[in-house]
Amino acid sequence: MMVNGQPVTVETEPNRTLLEVLREDLGLTGSKEGCGTGDCGACTVHLNGRPVTSCLVLAPEADGCEIVTIEGLAQSGQLHPVQQAFIQYGGLQCGICTPGFVMAATALLRDNPNPTEHEVREAIAGNLCRCTGYDKIVRAILAASDVAER
Amino acid sequence: MSEHQIVGKPLPRVDAREKVTGQAIYGADFRLPGMLVGRFLGSAYAHAEIRRIDTSRAEALPGVYAVVTAADLPRGEHYDAGSRAHAVFAGDRALFVGQPVAAVAAEDLATAQEALRLIEIEYNPLPAVLDPVQAMDPSSPVIQHEGPADRSEMDVHTQQAADVKTLEDNENDNVVNKVDFEQGDVARGFAEADVIVEHTYRVPMVHQGYVEPHSQTALWDSSGRVTIWISTQGIFDVRERLAETLGLSASQIRVISTEIGGGFGGKMALFAPLVAVLARKAKRPVQLVLSRHEELQASNPAPLSVVHLKTGVKRDGTITAIQGKAVVDTGAYSGAPMTVICIMLGQAYKCANVRIEGYEVLTNKPSVTAYRAPGGPNAAFSIESQVDEMARAIGMDPLEFRLRNAAEEGTMQPHGRAHRRIGLKETLAALRPAWEDAKRWKQEPGDQWRGIGVACGGWEGGRGPGVAFMVLDEDGMFRLVCGVVDLTGSHTSLAQIAAEALGVSPARVRVVKSDTDTGPWAPMSAGSQTTYGMGPAVQEAAADARRQLLRYAAAYLKTRAGKLTLADDQIYVTDKPEKHVTLKKMYDLANGWSARFKPILGRGTAPRRQPAPSFAACVAAVEVDPETGKASIRRLVAAQDVGQAINPLSVEGQIQGGTVQSVGIALWEELAFDEQGTVRNPNLLDYRKATAADLPFIQTVLVNVPAGDGAYGAKIVGEPSIVPPVGAVANAVADAIGARVYDLPIMPERVWRALAARG
Repeated sequence: MMVNGQPVTVETEPNRTLLEVLREDLGLTGSKEGCGTGDCGACTVHLNGRPVTSCLVLAPEADGCEIVTIEGLAQSGQLHPVQQAFIQYGGLQCGICTPGFVMAATALLRDNPNPTEHEVREAIAGNLCRCTGYDKIVRAILAASDVAER
Repeated sequence: MSEHQIVGKPLPRVDAREKVTGQAIYGADFRLPGMLVGRFLGSAYAHAEIRRIDTSRAEALPGVYAVVTAADLPRGEHYDAGSRAHAVFAGDRALFVGQPVAAVAAEDLATAQEALRLIEIEYNPLPAVLDPVQAMDPSSPVIQHEGPADRSEMDVHTQQAADVKTLEDNENDNVVNKVDFEQGDVARGFAEADVIVEHTYRVPMVHQGYVEPHSQTALWDSSGRVTIWISTQGIFDVRERLAETLGLSASQIRVISTEIGGGFGGKMALFAPLVAVLARKAKRPVQLVLSRHEELQASNPAPLSVVHLKTGVKRDGTITAIQGKAVVDTGAYSGAPMTVICIMLGQAYKCANVRIEGYEVLTNKPSVTAYRAPGGPNAAFSIESQVDEMARAIGMDPLEFRLRNAAEEGTMQPHGRAHRRIGLKETLAALRPAWEDAKRWKQEPGDQWRGIGVACGGWEGGRGPGVAFMVLDEDGMFRLVCGVVDLTGSHTSLAQIAAEALGVSPARVRVVKSDTDTGPWAPMSAGSQTTYGMGPAVQEAAADARRQLLRYAAAYLKTRAGKLTLADDQIYVTDKPEKHVTLKKMYDLANGWSARFKPILGRGTAPRRQPAPSFAACVAAVEVDPETGKASIRRLVAAQDVGQAINPLSVEGQIQGGTVQSVGIALWEELAFDEQGTVRNPNLLDYRKATAADLPFIQTVLVNVPAGDGAYGAKIVGEPSIVPPVGAVANAVADAIGARVYDLPIMPERVWRALAARG
């Protein structure tokens, strides 16, 4: 598979998840396990451009696919507008859910560059945050959509 | 009041970049060579004798390096059978489903899970008691432990109380602590009342809901010293716990905190001894990360409470009597915030006649610990619902009723202490515009039932002490060193305080988190007081470093310190800026083999602050679907007396987070135990936490009523916001449907039942 633009080959038992392979075999610990059952979104990565909960993707399913994780988002040290916006608007506190939200938000903005507040909330409803109450996360994503548009 | 340059500004978090890029290292991200996977086996029964444990087949499995049970942890002289902390493993008896009975360390997760399956345990199940009211009945099975109950929570809250009667402990029942607060005479109060309201309010156990599970890694060296990397709110608390349970001295333990993915009071040292014992026996580093299932079944949730309230009110709006009985379910070990609940039932209002009895009761469930303003939501749901009913009964606006009766400086509290300067009235008054606005919203046409509610409540909070030091690095940057865990953005606020005290921009201050070996003592990041308690110490350390720097610069520039200005990268003579020295040069002058001066070390130690309790209030607007009973939140406005907000962005975020946790208690969250003591919803699909789609934007109103002695006017911040909203939402739903739900959470089914009962 391609992971963050690099070709990668991994040999693994068929019952391991993509999340385990990313974290343990490839050392990409930016994607987190919050529940292991696809309910919290902390493990969100892009698989062939779509946001997926990697804890529910069996590693063999990722064979031949393009994976982008949080670590692959910033280009040459330059933060993605969504990452910039999270920092500027206070869209994070403890930060454990942040990679998942950033991945969900970047996927949303690619498909829908100018979402409404309601569309943002629906798109990130699969990502749980306990610290922020979501207010500043939604504001950050809306602000990033303005920037990305420009 | 002078205008500050840095304090009071909404600066982004200093640790934001590493978090948005996935670089921050949380507990489970930490790696050591040769690290093994730790897993524990939890009791299958809520109450059972453990007759026999056979670990031989597990030990024989290839890839297993250690199997441990209670037998591997000899009980030291400090062993307390009544303490959850000391029950690393269940001994003769298991007291809740999921209580660790044995644990393994193995090469990988699959081997560890297989090893757990190979452990044979012979249980003799005993009758379990799960409901706290039933548990008080003498005919119930008794879960008493040998030894005294943990009275620390009660002692902390009653130490300054005048009229506290604490009742004798009877070891033949499940009641481990009791209090009885009395002011005036409630019989007289009821006689004076025009209306008497009486109800029982029930709040279930809820989980703190941190997204990162308990995670810790332990490694022993050959000298018998252990190092633990752990997701915790308090590294010195972990060290103390390990010393007690493992029979070590503090100096044999090093605790390093990893970045923490949420704590809210629920993450201290609960599984630290277990992972340490595994690593000791395995002779390799071991990492233990709880599954979500284990978190929801067997960690340390918030208490279940059953609060009976009978209150009296006169037609003019005076509250004449508050009589309450609080039964607080602490799970299998004591330590519940029962006393706090009892105090808070009468804390927000003036009332001459108060009688509140509290009972802390054991049940066969995981024992409880703090969850953001522990006991606060339990009390607020009860008293704020009751206050609304009193207001309705006499036809008074609920906000005006609260303002009329609001406690203020000098008002007596149930436990015999008078309030100090508090901002309750101001905080309630600050919601008037939002309340009027909500009333207008309610009148708008809609196809769902609309309701609005208001509630208030406060929190005393902790108050330090604090300690920090500051050094100058060779690039001219200031390094602030302290041991606090950055739970809530406190590092950013402390950097702002340091920068303000130094007179440099915040980008020149770097905060470094030390561990129990490399830095001074630090308070746990809890009790809303990290910035409040540490701020003065940081201020002092920065001022001390600045004084030394200016003294040396004055000597170097042959002038007096009073004539100098400290800027971001240099010190110059205020009236003659061309006469200057760079900070890099000052570093060289103070350090190195040819140093002319002494190394610069700023030192700050601050004693405990004055109490600076903070009150909060909330307006909520809901819509209830008449067909399904589902309640949806349409508006949330949260006001809080924060004193001077060191970082408004951070303070707003804290308030919004606490508000949503409280809404969750009102509408969605419950650890649903069945008759066997098993949690029926130990996953995040069925344990329903709020999502972004459930909520509107949350408006925050920052109120500043100066009190206490925090740095630059700061007060406690983190906890008060979770107290009122549960009451505001309950009141809004009652307003919408014309009936009241007395059991949380307010699920659609309960709305339907309340409507059916109303007729």
